[in-house]
Amino acid sequence: MNKRATALITNPNFGLGLAAIILFVILSVATGTFFTATNLFSIARTMSLYVFVGLTQAVVLVVGDMNLSAGAIGGLATVSAGYLMDAMGFPGYVAVIAALAVGILCGLINGIISARFEINAFVVTLATSFVFTGINYGFTRGVAFTDIPATVRVMARGAVFGIPYLFLFMFAVLVILYVFYNQNVLGRRLMAIGQNVEAARFSGINSKNLKVFSHTLSGFMASLAGVLYISRMGSAQPATGQDWLIISFAVAIIGGTALSGGVITPLGIFIGAAVLVMIKNGLVILRTNVYWEQAFLGLLILFAVGIDAFRTYMNRRRLVS
Amino acid sequence: MLQVKNISKAFPGVQALDDVSIDFQGGELHGLLGENGAGKSTLVKIICGVYKQDKGQLFYNKKPLEVESVKDASSKGINMVMQELQVLNISSVAENIMIDKFDKFSKGGFINWRRIHKEAQQFLDFVELDVPPTALVGYLSPVQKKMVQIARALSSQSKILLLDEPTSSITDKEADILFGILNKLKEQGIVLIFVTHKLEEVFKYCEKASVLRDGKLIGTKPISELKQKEVIRMMIGREEKIESYSNENVNRSKKVLEVRNLSRENKVHDVSLDLYEGEVLGIYGLIGSGRTEFARLLIGEDKKDSGEVILNGKKIEIKSLSEAIYKYKMGYVTENRKEEGLFLMDNVRRNVNVVVWPEISGNLLKLIKNKAERDNVKKMIKELDIRVTNSEQIVGNLSGGNQQKVSIAKWLIAECEILIFDEPTIGIDVGAKKYIHKLIYNLANDYNKSIILISSDLPEVVTISNRIIVFNNKKVIGEVEEVPKIEDSYDQVSHQIGEFYLKKV
Repeated sequence: MNKRATALITNPNFGLGLAAIILFVILSVATGTFFTATNLFSIARTMSLYVFVGLTQAVVLVVGDMNLSAGAIGGLATVSAGYLMDAMGFPGYVAVIAALAVGILCGLINGIISARFEINAFVVTLATSFVFTGINYGFTRGVAFTDIPATVRVMARGAVFGIPYLFLFMFAVLVILYVFYNQNVLGRRLMAIGQNVEAARFSGINSKNLKVFSHTLSGFMASLAGVLYISRMGSAQPATGQDWLIISFAVAIIGGTALSGGVITPLGIFIGAAVLVMIKNGLVILRTNVYWEQAFLGLLILFAVGIDAFRTYMNRRRLVS
Repeated sequence: MLQVKNISKAFPGVQALDDVSIDFQGGELHGLLGENGAGKSTLVKIICGVYKQDKGQLFYNKKPLEVESVKDASSKGINMVMQELQVLNISSVAENIMIDKFDKFSKGGFINWRRIHKEAQQFLDFVELDVPPTALVGYLSPVQKKMVQIARALSSQSKILLLDEPTSSITDKEADILFGILNKLKEQGIVLIFVTHKLEEVFKYCEKASVLRDGKLIGTKPISELKQKEVIRMMIGREEKIESYSNENVNRSKKVLEVRNLSRENKVHDVSLDLYEGEVLGIYGLIGSGRTEFARLLIGEDKKDSGEVILNGKKIEIKSLSEAIYKYKMGYVTENRKEEGLFLMDNVRRNVNVVVWPEISGNLLKLIKNKAERDNVKKMIKELDIRVTNSEQIVGNLSGGNQQKVSIAKWLIAECEILIFDEPTIGIDVGAKKYIHKLIYNLANDYNKSIILISSDLPEVVTISNRIIVFNNKKVIGEVEEVPKIEDSYDQVSHQIGEFYLKKV
């Protein structure tokens, strides 16, 4: 076998990509409603949102942390933007910028508490998720903001040549992240501290500041996803983000982000989101009881974590021999 | 009472013990002396069941003794008090002492605490530890924790008690208390084996001493027949020829680094030294003598209490590791290569370039230039003769010697002028060791780097250093001003260093 083919097959994304294609073919052949323009359009939009949700987790997993408050940040950013547009009458761009600022601030708080004061990120973000959600509901009492200007609505609804804007935007973000983590000094350093935080420190890399940065980036991604959810739904729902915890981990882990840190592949996250959406979509088309869906998601994550553990085990064995 | 006979044990790349036979008598404190890596720890770990010997046999009262595991050893009355303070800090004194005997004091799943406390009290009385059995161990002083460890060993009816560097974490005064307890144990006829590299304690407290060197037994003698000088010679003297590289490049007129009275409480005491351009300055001392601690102060990893550092004639304050690297061009090749030196899961290219990423990236977007990265790694693979199939090979898959070359290459690419090597050949096989020695020497002689070489391997220090500073007990105890580059330089230098230790005693 030639070198290129070997490299392709040993690439961790190969198996995942193959699974995605097989899933796509099966759904197309087995059901009449999957391979239709409207369904594919809908899938493309949903998976784009899932990519952003997955990124909220992947960008902290890569440095060996996690963010349980991503959904709460998304919800808070959503209602912040909604309030400014609906109740205050601000134009869309002001509301979007404000929402992103809220996300950045929340992420910064997570990062400073966990990295600077060296408190486990799991506990910190679990606690702040309640704080952020509490502020959200205390403020809105659960009522959605519905008067959303057309400029905001068009982002997740418009399309060019039949491809949703949202999909193109998501694709661009993934390309930027690919370049960032592979070529940029900061991105490479983030990967380095995820691999071995001590070796990174002894190579002159300040891991604390970089961890704060990662949490801030996660907060930013969460607020970005929140804004896109507003656009998609046409309203700012306080409940936005409630189901992100499982989605974010599912997309990131299925997409090959190492739980122990040091590995993030934007292509993997792309395919991971696609697999997840196709399974959900397939379940709907096959008219499964919607309540079963959670069980499937849970099993899928267990499966993905199993693969991650297996990969770590194989790597270790390779290192020892 | 306890005999070890013809014991040999090999680890990959090193013969840790080579045909060692010693007789240990009951009621005696038997000191086991040697440098780091001499084989002392391996021997006691074989006796207490951590390792299994490759060859040889243990005897107790002339009967063959087989030890399968630590637990098995404990049930046969062999117990070890570890060097580290291995106690459960958030448990009570009684729990620490009786931890492996709870099943004897419980009924139907309920533990009888009154009986446990009563039993524990007996052992506390014996080691004269005046704390209630219910006290939390975390609040005790280091020596009290040591006593708790000894009490635990005694609680399982010890016949053989092994003590691995028991005084390393306590003060001299506290050591007196500890040896008082050991004297009481002697009266009970227990075999006491005491691993140490502190000569003075052996002469003060032991009845007999055995010296190991490079895995071989050099000799066993009663203390009354030994002189300190002789013991030092047994520990560090060597018959085989030790090579010594002569370095013509030292520029004695240019002080690159001056350290004045550097101190940090309990770590490093009042250390001063100079480093000249193009020289290899050896820092010899055993583990715990303060040498690694000194290096960590120097590179800003730990904060100093007092003292100054002068670089090229200018006083500097190094606040962090990244300042040491980027601002002052100091590279530290750590002794913990796998934990602190390398990204084992990543490839050779990134490992070699990790420090220079900011310098080989574009101005605006800070994107790393692939060509610069590839050129760097190619150059290093060639110059340091790193054995790889290509630069994308994963570092974790390389041999110890090649891994060490990668971690050195990192600092060469970063163009560090001062390089600090901490135990550079630890865990490296003999052939690669020689190559690393040549390489360090070349860095000073050909590349004009100024090098600090920290090592507890005296032949290594003599082979590559121009000058040697000796650390002991967190202080500098002497300096070999010029390592003679002649046939028998090792004998001269080891003799001189022996004198430093004697003077100190």
